[in-house]
Amino acid sequence: MKICPSCSHKNREGSLFCEECGQNLLSNINAAVKTKQIDLDSDAVSFSSWGSAKFDLDTVVVLHIRDSQEPLRISPNNRVILGRYDGGNAPKPDLDLTPHGALEKGVSRIHAAIYRTDDTLTLIDMGSSNGTLLNGHRLVRDQPRVLRDGDEIRLGKLVAHIYFKQNSDNP
Amino acid sequence: MNIDIDPYAVLGVHVDATSDEIKKAYRQAARRLHPDLNKHNPGAVAQFQDITVAYELLIDPAQRSQYDAKARLLYPEDRLVFMLRTIANKRTVALLDEPQIIFLLSEIIPDPRAEMQQNGDARLNLTLVLDCSKSMKDTRMDKVKIAAHQIIDQLKPGDILSVVSFNDTADVVIPATTMMTTDKASLKARISMIHPFGSTEIFQGLSAGIAQNRTFMAPRLVNHVILITDGRTYGDEQRCIELAREVGKEGITISAMGLGEDWNDQFLDNMTAITGGRTEYISSPGTVVRFLNEYVRNLSNVFAERLQLSVAPDPDIRLESAFKLAPSPQPLSIDGPTIPLGNLQGHRSVSVLLQLEIPAKLTLGFRSLARIVAVGDILANKNTKCMGLNDISFEVMDNPPMEETPPNILEALGKLSLYRLQERAQEALERGDIREATQRLEFLSTRLLELGEPELAQQARREAQRVAMTNQLSEKGRKDLKYQTRSLLLEASMETKS
Repeated sequence: MKICPSCSHKNREGSLFCEECGQNLLSNINAAVKTKQIDLDSDAVSFSSWGSAKFDLDTVVVLHIRDSQEPLRISPNNRVILGRYDGGNAPKPDLDLTPHGALEKGVSRIHAAIYRTDDTLTLIDMGSSNGTLLNGHRLVRDQPRVLRDGDEIRLGKLVAHIYFKQNSDNP
Repeated sequence: MNIDIDPYAVLGVHVDATSDEIKKAYRQAARRLHPDLNKHNPGAVAQFQDITVAYELLIDPAQRSQYDAKARLLYPEDRLVFMLRTIANKRTVALLDEPQIIFLLSEIIPDPRAEMQQNGDARLNLTLVLDCSKSMKDTRMDKVKIAAHQIIDQLKPGDILSVVSFNDTADVVIPATTMMTTDKASLKARISMIHPFGSTEIFQGLSAGIAQNRTFMAPRLVNHVILITDGRTYGDEQRCIELAREVGKEGITISAMGLGEDWNDQFLDNMTAITGGRTEYISSPGTVVRFLNEYVRNLSNVFAERLQLSVAPDPDIRLESAFKLAPSPQPLSIDGPTIPLGNLQGHRSVSVLLQLEIPAKLTLGFRSLARIVAVGDILANKNTKCMGLNDISFEVMDNPPMEETPPNILEALGKLSLYRLQERAQEALERGDIREATQRLEFLSTRLLELGEPELAQQARREAQRVAMTNQLSEKGRKDLKYQTRSLLLEASMETKS
């Protein structure tokens, strides 16, 4: 058995490329991923804007929604569905964005979800009508993307920033 | 007496072999190829018939001496041949409790003398079947007409041409005629008169075209039907496939060219593959002229026609897939007793990549893997039949040494994995599994980017987005990905050649 280092698909012995994702199974994955050398004195270091992806037990998410006064605090357990509740038959999302103008901004009833896996958070589009953007990149439906401290997410026209806060920081 | 096969070559014995040697060779081969053991393996069944015929012929002294006398005439020393050469990606495998994969690359190589002797010498029996439905109006029809005119210009005296146009009925524009130098202008004028209207019914055109081709069909000719269409045919696809199966056996090859985005690629791929032909995707009408011309020029360089590969793995080994890498990359069907490969040109080999599964729990030591036979008609020979045979074996070891994978196999497999990703994305989509389809397209995009194909990678990514939003691919994107990942394989086989 050959386990793909890229997608962990179990390939039969003798396979040279992963049947699942096309990864070359002969090459060492660590050698394949080249680390970019950056000059410590250059601006590139201080310019980095993306925060940590590490999300441990004591961390909570603070969601700053643009044009809203109060930031929302969520401590994601397994899964938090973001959406809009209109009192109809549709199930109520875990985080109802109606008070933040969800309807006018084109948020779907079941728009996106934040999943917690080990010590990272991922954002996934649940098949929304107007799409979900993470730092300006449109998410492909059902494909999870890792969330980092300081990310901007966009549900339809509703813009929010994600911050990771230690639970003890702000009791 | 079946003179189509060389009994010595079939049994792998020397012409001076004693009858004991012949018996031994037959028993050995029969043990592997016996139909009772090979119900899942049509290639072996076909080869079993051949070795039995060869054995019965050689074991009877009277028949054998009669054959030997004839063979000197049938196979003169200086006749042209092609060679079959098969390499495996490794010679040793480990003893394991699980099944393993092994790859074979079979190449059919033309006689080196062919390139000098043959320069556009092959005589063509060419039929053009042109879609003249309403959708072909204006640019497409004009370009196809220009292409047809240029083909008439490049045909040699002695070549045979017929042209059929079709919409919901078929019209014989030029009945099968032997080309003379003088009448070309009037033939062109007839093509200029084609006027597009109506809908597309491929069976109409195809059967009329084949009827024309059949009137001159001969073993020493390149019998080829080229279908040019831009639309889908409804309801008659099965009849077309059956017709293709029939004419494939007779020795007529069908190729297809799809213009634009609306034609049914799966259907045309299947239909042409049955006959050893291929399907090409022509995205802009401007390229059809150059493309068709080149295609016909290549036909006149044909060295051997009706090439067939028969793969007979040992009874416990399974052939999983076959893919033609060169000269035109395309998936091959392994359901029949033989795999049609089309023609062999005087200056380029045909190569096929095979994937086989070896079962778990082998025994240590040397053993056979598969027997591969290639047959075809060499047009320049008096007796056209030619055959090549390879017996492949491998060794099972406790601790096999590290082996370097031959670079051409590795490169081809890498690019084939891209084609497969595209194929599986499409399959997932047909099942309605949007999640899997988008994931495969994203993987495809990543790999294409790694490979240095940024534009195709972008396109894969765009299609992934599109699938996520609309649950379907665009027709253009789907065809672009399919045929362009295929042509990556062509580049691979060219690079290893040089």
